[in-house]
Amino acid sequence: APDTLSYLESASLMSGTLESLSGLGDDGSSIGSDSEINGLAVRRTDKYGFLGGSQYSESCEKETRVEVARQREVKWLDMFHHWDKWIKHRFQKVKLRCRKGIPSSLRAKAWQLLSNSQELLEANPGRFEELEREPGEAKWLDIIEKDLHRQFPFHEMFAARGGHGQQDLFRILKAYTVYRPDEGYCQAQAPVAAVLLMHMPAEQAFWCLVQICEKFLPGYYSAGLEAIQLDGEIFFSLLRRTCPMAYRHLKKFKIDPILYMTEWFMCIFSRTLPWACVLRVWDMFFCEGVKIVFRVGLVLLRQMLGSVEKLREVQGMYETMERLRNISPDSIKEDLLVQEIVALPVTEALIERECSVQVRKWRESRGELTHQPGRRLHGTRAIYEYKRRAAAISSGGSFSFLGSSVPPPGPLRSSSSLLSLPGFRKSKAAAGQRAPAPQSPLIRTAAAPLSPAPKIVSEQITPTIPSPTANNAPLPPLPDPKKDAGAPAAAAEEAREGEEKRRRKMEPRLRKSRPR
Amino acid sequence: MEAIWLYQFRLIVIGDSTVGKSCLIRRFTEGRFAQVSDPTVGVDFFSRLVEIEPGKRIKLQIWDTAGQERFRCRSITRAYYRNSVGGLLLFDITNRRSFQNVHDWLEEARSHVQPHSIVFLLVGHKCDLEAQRQVTRQEAEKLAGAYGMRYVETSARDAINVEHAFTELTRDIFALVRSGDITIQEGWEGVKSGFVPNVVHSSEEVTKSDRRCLC
Repeated sequence: APDTLSYLESASLMSGTLESLSGLGDDGSSIGSDSEINGLAVRRTDKYGFLGGSQYSESCEKETRVEVARQREVKWLDMFHHWDKWIKHRFQKVKLRCRKGIPSSLRAKAWQLLSNSQELLEANPGRFEELEREPGEAKWLDIIEKDLHRQFPFHEMFAARGGHGQQDLFRILKAYTVYRPDEGYCQAQAPVAAVLLMHMPAEQAFWCLVQICEKFLPGYYSAGLEAIQLDGEIFFSLLRRTCPMAYRHLKKFKIDPILYMTEWFMCIFSRTLPWACVLRVWDMFFCEGVKIVFRVGLVLLRQMLGSVEKLREVQGMYETMERLRNISPDSIKEDLLVQEIVALPVTEALIERECSVQVRKWRESRGELTHQPGRRLHGTRAIYEYKRRAAAISSGGSFSFLGSSVPPPGPLRSSSSLLSLPGFRKSKAAAGQRAPAPQSPLIRTAAAPLSPAPKIVSEQITPTIPSPTANNAPLPPLPDPKKDAGAPAAAAEEAREGEEKRRRKMEPRLRKSRPR
Repeated sequence: MEAIWLYQFRLIVIGDSTVGKSCLIRRFTEGRFAQVSDPTVGVDFFSRLVEIEPGKRIKLQIWDTAGQERFRCRSITRAYYRNSVGGLLLFDITNRRSFQNVHDWLEEARSHVQPHSIVFLLVGHKCDLEAQRQVTRQEAEKLAGAYGMRYVETSARDAINVEHAFTELTRDIFALVRSGDITIQEGWEGVKSGFVPNVVHSSEEVTKSDRRCLC
């Protein structure tokens, strides 16, 4: 029999080289992959395709029982068939199922539907190929090329230098710089793109990346990093509410959020958490948006700095940073993490309220922001509503759905994002809750054209519509900056989640099918 | 637990993307060479003790920064620079561009570091790749001289001059501290004295030392 190494060498000649894996040691046989090295008998990856490195999962924490897995798949397939209806009428259920974890066999499709990237792809046939044909700017290509072999080098897909994984990574990162020449390439985009590529072909991954960069986390990867700094401030003040002990500790040692949350948020925890958790977090993130990212960060801080005993071990800035930068995978259990994320009372409304406070502070201390926080959409439902409104306006030019008394569809009427619809806000203001919202420059910018939109058929239909992103535009400064000024909105969402829980209990069918 | 140190210096490592900043620091603090390292997003932290004279230990706190320009926005970099006493400015000897950018890096540092100053060391990295060299030692030394810096060539892969680079820089800073050119200041993190506890922590600290005595 041919010895493994020479086999590997010849295999790697066909599809790149395995240079980047030389760090694995002498045990060349541990390299095995069906994607890069066809026919190799030895296959020693974990169930996610990692050959080693810090991402490698020793053993599966728990396996979902086959029947349960099958049942979930059937449910998800059913949702796929009537996707719009599910989002429109039974979004809470979709959310719940995302929180339970999307079946791995259907994850790729689900992510594309949740992010609405599938529709974007269908609306832009051949666009990706067009972008690929463009030469691209040398300054971006240079950095991208240098980064290709540094993304999850222990994953079978990206292990081989110049292999398919790295080639695809190059294709989509480059395509993005052509798609958004104003944004170009940010090094934190590469791991995000790589995670997507582990699940779907390049073209699909590209549009998914577009949705993340434009709808879920707009501004995160742009020059200046304003968006991430702003979220850092929001994060820190949310920490004050959720874990005052950790907050005081970080403040005492002057540990700015930007020092530890940048990688967490920009890479959506793909470099931080054990892989099983990464996937669960992404499942929820695609459905519920950035709220999940905030919650994961808060849960982590609470876990690491949330008690006197834990703080005792990290008395000092460096010690604290070291703890935050090296989260031991053993300390994080998938189910427990998800449970805590779900339970944390940090809502979209709360984030938006905090955002407006921080935007105001930013303006007072650092001047104008180029970043428009209002562009951010909180997950599937918000994107769906955005799309619907845009479609309604472009087809009939009427705002009927805004003015009509018909409540938003679905069993749960008060989607938090509707709370700040112009009409809704006005009625609240009239009820004496808020001063009438003056057209602040911020709201105006949020309602105006969104991005320097490339010529492309997308959800950015017409620049003149009152963009639903205005939804998320921070409210104008309140005359009395009292602590719980935004509480009604937050409470509404909390109540909604509470109702959801009650409903879940009431629903016998679901109870029966719920895995133990 | 940790050995006693005389001073703590905070160092910053800067330079273009992929010149090998993280690898150099890892070699120095962990004693190993990573074939591949993730591009740094944001900032990373390392620390190590260095004995510059028998019995005189300095604790180095090393900040690793992202090389991509995108991560060098004002408010972030200011925090890095302002609280550092020393810095390694890296370029890759096989990458001419990274050498040409040395000037920009210095300018950026200077504009942020006020009112303090940073002792820089110019480092030509990846010197094991002699065959691919694009920057001669002479011109690098000349540039370093023009800016009043020392110049060292290092290789993280072959562990050439890595210790030397960090220790030399530490010695230079130590000399300046001893001569009084650099002083410990309240609210500045660049240099801290090891003898004076930086913050007195109520009961927590007491129990901590208690526990240590038991070991």
